[in-house]
Amino acid sequence: MKPLSFILLSILCIVSSALASPSTDKFEQFQTLSRLAPIDLDDSLYDDLTSKPRDYYAAVVLTATEARFGCILCRELQPEWELIAQSWNKGSKSDELKLLFGTLDFVHGKAIFQKLMLQTAPVLLLFPPTVGPFARVDDTPFRFDFTGPMSADQLYTWINRHLPEGPKPPLVRPVNYVRLVSAITLSMGAVTLFTVLSPYVLPIVRNRNIWAAISLIAVLLFTSGHMFNHIRRVPYVVGDGKGGISYFAGGFQTQFGMETQIVAAIYATLSFATIALAMKVPRMADAKAQQVAVVIWGVVLFGVYSFLLSVFKAKNAGYPFFLPPF
Amino acid sequence: MADAPVDALLKGSSGKNTRGLLRTIILFTIAAAAVSSRLFSVIRFESIIHEFDPWFNFRATKYLVENGFHSFWDWFDDRTWHPLGRVTGGTLYPGLMVTSGAIYHFLRFLTLPVDIRNICVLLAPAFSGLTAFAMYLLTNEMSPSPSAGLLAAAFMGIVPGYISRSVAGSYDNEAIAIFLLVFTFFLWIRAVKNGSIMYGALTALSYGYMVSAWGGYVFITNLIPLHIFVLLCMGRYSTRLYISYTTWYALGTLASMQIPFVGFLPIRNSDHMSAFGIFGLLQLVAFAEFIRGYVPTKQFQKLLTSMIIITVAVGFIGLSLLSISGVIAPWSGRFYSLWDTSYAKIHIPIIASVSEHQPTAWPAFFFDLNFLIWLFPAGVYICFRDLKDEHVFVVIYGVLASYFAGVMVRLMLTLTPIVCVAAALALSHIIDTYVTISPKQAQAKSTESSSESLRSSRSPVVGIYSYASKAIVTSSVVIYLLLFVAHCTWVTSNAYSSPSVVLASRLPDGSQFLIDDYREAYYWLRQNTPQNAKIASWWDYGYQIGGMADRPTLVDNNTWNNTHIATVGKAMSSPEEVSYPILRQHDVDYVLVVFGGLLGYSGDDLNKFLWMVRIAEGIWPDEVKERDFFTSRGEYRVDDQATPTMRNSLMYKMSYYNYNSLFQQGQAIDRVRGVRLPAEGPQLSTMEEAFTSENWIIRIYKVKDLDNFDRDHMSAAAFDRGQKRKRASKRRGPRVLRTE
Repeated sequence: MKPLSFILLSILCIVSSALASPSTDKFEQFQTLSRLAPIDLDDSLYDDLTSKPRDYYAAVVLTATEARFGCILCRELQPEWELIAQSWNKGSKSDELKLLFGTLDFVHGKAIFQKLMLQTAPVLLLFPPTVGPFARVDDTPFRFDFTGPMSADQLYTWINRHLPEGPKPPLVRPVNYVRLVSAITLSMGAVTLFTVLSPYVLPIVRNRNIWAAISLIAVLLFTSGHMFNHIRRVPYVVGDGKGGISYFAGGFQTQFGMETQIVAAIYATLSFATIALAMKVPRMADAKAQQVAVVIWGVVLFGVYSFLLSVFKAKNAGYPFFLPPF
Repeated sequence: MADAPVDALLKGSSGKNTRGLLRTIILFTIAAAAVSSRLFSVIRFESIIHEFDPWFNFRATKYLVENGFHSFWDWFDDRTWHPLGRVTGGTLYPGLMVTSGAIYHFLRFLTLPVDIRNICVLLAPAFSGLTAFAMYLLTNEMSPSPSAGLLAAAFMGIVPGYISRSVAGSYDNEAIAIFLLVFTFFLWIRAVKNGSIMYGALTALSYGYMVSAWGGYVFITNLIPLHIFVLLCMGRYSTRLYISYTTWYALGTLASMQIPFVGFLPIRNSDHMSAFGIFGLLQLVAFAEFIRGYVPTKQFQKLLTSMIIITVAVGFIGLSLLSISGVIAPWSGRFYSLWDTSYAKIHIPIIASVSEHQPTAWPAFFFDLNFLIWLFPAGVYICFRDLKDEHVFVVIYGVLASYFAGVMVRLMLTLTPIVCVAAALALSHIIDTYVTISPKQAQAKSTESSSESLRSSRSPVVGIYSYASKAIVTSSVVIYLLLFVAHCTWVTSNAYSSPSVVLASRLPDGSQFLIDDYREAYYWLRQNTPQNAKIASWWDYGYQIGGMADRPTLVDNNTWNNTHIATVGKAMSSPEEVSYPILRQHDVDYVLVVFGGLLGYSGDDLNKFLWMVRIAEGIWPDEVKERDFFTSRGEYRVDDQATPTMRNSLMYKMSYYNYNSLFQQGQAIDRVRGVRLPAEGPQLSTMEEAFTSENWIIRIYKVKDLDNFDRDHMSAAAFDRGQKRKRASKRRGPRVLRTE
């Protein structure tokens, strides 16, 4: 009971002092608005924060987090931005160096967005002080344009670069205890489950066919250019401009998602035909059936390979080789 | 009976000899084919070193041959990375140079006066013959069929995936490293199969040679422990594993630490930690096996469980403590970028900028491996039939290498050997089944239909009944093989045999037209500039300038100092007023740029320009901004829509300086980017054009000395043009001393 009342009392004191003397330090006034997290601004607060005699730095993110704006970057930025503000506000720094963090959402600050003629969000503005030891003659804010997802570290180094020299609090990422505990619980659960189920699971784990299948799928995925799709984020299919879709990309260095799947299927068919010819067919006891199987697999091999060559020829115009059907 | 004399040759002990002789002849033929298919470039052009890195290797080899091994080991090269210099002896893999040096001295000893350049040019083809032989040995360990080894050797000899790095003149580390890779793996498989200390030690020796030759040795360092680990997980511990692995690890680590560039990495770097961890694990497993013989089963179970828990806990804590305290270095950037594929793009632009570090699209796989690419999964599947220790190796290697090859184009090279092995296993299986004349009637093989085996190999083998099916399969296999040979020859001749120092193109009448601008420019530098003139260029050309022009450079392809490279990038991407002090501070006398606009040569500096900007931005984010080089609509343009930053950058000015004078007024066209250039060309005031090669590919500028009258260069140039000096504007800020 006692500590709580003490906190209440202190909050009361702060509030009353803030109310009592509104003309006191603007910096402290803003600091009381939010102890750790960035200040949620609206039009008037933003104007107040950036109004001219100011003896502090102000870093403001202009963003649009609501789902209807569809700004993924803004939503990804939000936790990182809060992390920066928290690290700064918690950490130790010299008293001279004053920095305020704010967030202006488009919902609350349409007028500001219009005034700044912002077409895109998010934008980070850093206002230098106009009075005080670090005052700058040129008081236009530094602007940071987001070109892609940014981590807190990258943003923080950018802000740090514009602050005066001196020690600054390091960026502290809080340990995600929930994740840690859940990971430990999950892994222990998995171990327990495995021990309990081992009589049923072990035959599966030791099954050679399953491992063969996994290896083959992995090899087929990788050799058909799946990693390229993953790294370059290629489109799955692209229209050909005539209402249809083009399955194969034009150039030698490009490919579509679906294209690689087709190629993987071609490779799989060819490999399977080879395996059948090499391992299954010689084990067939019936002579007639064996003859038919050889013909079928041989034709499949030839036809699909011919198709593969024609696809490759389409990608690489100068390629001179082909097999008859295609 | 016509085949009676043949029978006498092929049966009994003389049959064995005949087969041995045939095999030797076939292997020699394969080696000859491997060597000769790599000689396209020598025949078409001349005996010349290719590309970029080989020029450094060549220069280092010349130094080694001239000054002897000891001074090579202590070589401090003050003609690169001016003004820093480079401790070359301690920062290179010496295997390649030492190999060619040894060959050189051996031939001298035999009184064969061979030029060192010819040895360097022909080293890669010669070693490719050896690679084919090593491939034969490796595949023979995998399969009882004698045809598998020969097929694998033939595949390896001519497959484009390997030729791409080993044509004559491509004097690079990979030239000998792939041979060593395959040979080390062969020795390793031998060691595991026999549990032999001798083969383990030989593996270590071969591994040591590999470490001295190529940075890719890390692949072996991680693959062998992984092999052991998987075998342990499969419950296949044996003393064979213990003997071979501990022998290899102890001797191999010692051997690798003898290379100054590697030094203490094997015990400090995370890349090597898996080998060390498996070494410890193997000791524990061996200890447990030893205890098992003395302790009742029930207590042994308890002992084992507690031991596992304690080991894991201690190991984990120890590893994380060592990592946090910095005793163990974190993963090296290149290695890390293999797993987290977006890592390099964000953190290390210089790695991401290299074209061979890009991911691989599927046509590249087919281009480099042709029909082996679909025999490869079949071969991996066949390995699952017996799944002996060596087959496990093929499976692991296959899966891992195909992942790596998918992430980075250059790692196609490590995938190629295992593809050849697996494809040869599959194809030899088919050939052995179908290319036999005598009908195998119902050969009741041992029925090993346990649940362990593969689904497709449970029933007994009976053989092929009809000649028709044999004919069908055999003829189609022959067609595929012929197509493969044709494909390999075509790819080698069209894609991989150009030296890239000399460019070849075709005139409209079909005759060949050689573009030799690089050598023209480098020889101009050699003849017309003082011995110590410093040349600034983008790092791609550093080795060539050092090798061909013999002039000191600021940065080269070694890329060990990112800041220095960024300095050059900044000089190139900044306006003259900023660049000039930078160039002066680095004693630069000449600046060299590559410009393909006249000829349509797309690999020029303006196309690489964004990488210079990005790398410079990484160090000076306030002064160089990539955004400024794009128009407001996000386009990278060089015509009259280009941004002012772009048009004022030194690179732009040097590329297009005087380019207008080639064309009629306002008709200047850049043929690479396909745009019309602004009517008025850029003005250069701090440098003067010194040389432009025949096709304008290389342009060299001399950095002007300080002005005699202490004017800045802009006003001096304006004065020379006869322009009136502008009145100093009224808005004049306080005078600032420019410090940089």
